[in-house]
Amino acid sequence: MATVEERVKAVTANVLKLNIDEIKLSDDFAADLGAESVQSIELVAMFEEEFGIEMDEDAALSVQTVGKAVEFITDVCKQQGVEIEE
Amino acid sequence: MRLVLVDSLFEARSNFYPLSLGRPLWELRAGTSSLADKLISRIQPDDTAYFVPDYMADVYRAQVNEPVNDMAALAGDDLFFVNPVVQADSFKVQAKGASEIGLDEGGVVIYARINKNDVKRLASDDIETFIATAKAKLPNAICELPLWNYTWDLILANSEMITAEFAAIGRNGFEGSLEEPVAVRGSRKDVYIAPRVKVHPMVTIDAEHGPVYIDERVEIHPFTRIEGPCYIGKDSILLGAKCREGNSIGPYCRIGGEVEESIIHGYSNKYHDGFLGHSYVGEWVNLGALTTNSDLKNDYSNVSVMLDGRRAIDTGSTKVGSLIGDHVKTSIGTLLNTGSYLGAMALIMATGKPLPKHIPSFGWFIEGIVTKGFGKGKLYETAKTAMSRRKCEWTPAIQAMWDAVFEMTAPVRNKAIKKGRRTLLK
Repeated sequence: MATVEERVKAVTANVLKLNIDEIKLSDDFAADLGAESVQSIELVAMFEEEFGIEMDEDAALSVQTVGKAVEFITDVCKQQGVEIEE
Repeated sequence: MRLVLVDSLFEARSNFYPLSLGRPLWELRAGTSSLADKLISRIQPDDTAYFVPDYMADVYRAQVNEPVNDMAALAGDDLFFVNPVVQADSFKVQAKGASEIGLDEGGVVIYARINKNDVKRLASDDIETFIATAKAKLPNAICELPLWNYTWDLILANSEMITAEFAAIGRNGFEGSLEEPVAVRGSRKDVYIAPRVKVHPMVTIDAEHGPVYIDERVEIHPFTRIEGPCYIGKDSILLGAKCREGNSIGPYCRIGGEVEESIIHGYSNKYHDGFLGHSYVGEWVNLGALTTNSDLKNDYSNVSVMLDGRRAIDTGSTKVGSLIGDHVKTSIGTLLNTGSYLGAMALIMATGKPLPKHIPSFGWFIEGIVTKGFGKGKLYETAKTAMSRRKCEWTPAIQAMWDAVFEMTAPVRNKAIKKGRRTLLK
């Protein structure tokens, strides 16, 4: 199974139409990766689908970087009993 | 005699969604007033008591000066329950007389006249049990009276109601200020312009086919044309609007563009160009520039509406536009299909194509699909801002009511979101 980081990067690359190798954990979704507000909604939706989780919109949309998204999704997966590879 | 209005007498209150999500059925408006105003005017009770769904009780309590969901209000007087969706102008049952429960053929309580001596022996903890006990213990009578069955019934009857109520009110004349030239077509006896109304120059009021009632402090900007029958509620502003026949608007609305045969509740805006026809719009709605709805199908067949997002209901009419819930916001260029349903708090970002016919409450319609968007918290922030601009307060009770609506409407919304996700994943 791919790690959370790999899966987060893959979803981000797919939604934002980027090369996965260019995405770094320190990247800010908006400032560095060019995510517009509508795309951030799509990212949240696709993370939920990828991991089979439910995220609180306000909390999820306040996450700004790829690294923070990995941490946030890892926590949610643990809370909701979803098996992941860290 | 105390009039008692109970929202749960009519089981299918969801027939009036999305408008009844945030208000009791009798607060729906048509003609020149609410359904409650019409029943009270017809029955002339000494006072009124209300029983509403629990989740909206605190909000409604803050809106009226009379008891809400208070069983103690049933004591000490003769009671007259009337189903709130009874058409008031057809209701001719005597409010005073022997105790009697009027039922339609399906057993739905249309009215319940209960003398105060009988009230004592029906005592119970909740209003539903009280009415069920009354139905079991008191004489029943079969009665057939016309009911409002769906929201579009109100839309389709609105012209007639305005005309009848204008005659019943019996006012006409010009008490506000008119800056010439103002053109009045038809008989001036069919026009009433209330005190402190400001009619700017180059306004046409056409009462040839029905009366026009313009209530207090309305402001009508140049190049507005108002065709009767029409009621413009207090403190509304018409901005060069083409206001066709059959509209009930306001209070506190801002209306431009073309509007026809529509009912718009208070504090809603349709500031710019775009057509709204045969539609019912809730409170605190903002329709962005060029928002336009269809109210007639190309093949002239009956319009159907999906109230639950799944089952199409034939309205029986070739003319039905949109049902738009409270706090809905549409973006510029939104195109609404014939018989559209926009749930309460829905936010629409148009794509240039007509929307799906059903957008669930609290749904964010973005890039052609229903999403969770930025969540209900952002919608609440927007609602709070919109209300503060009109010096109204978003209270904890209001938020609790909408939280309950959010939960109630979750199953339909979640299905729509899943459908949208499937589109994204393709």
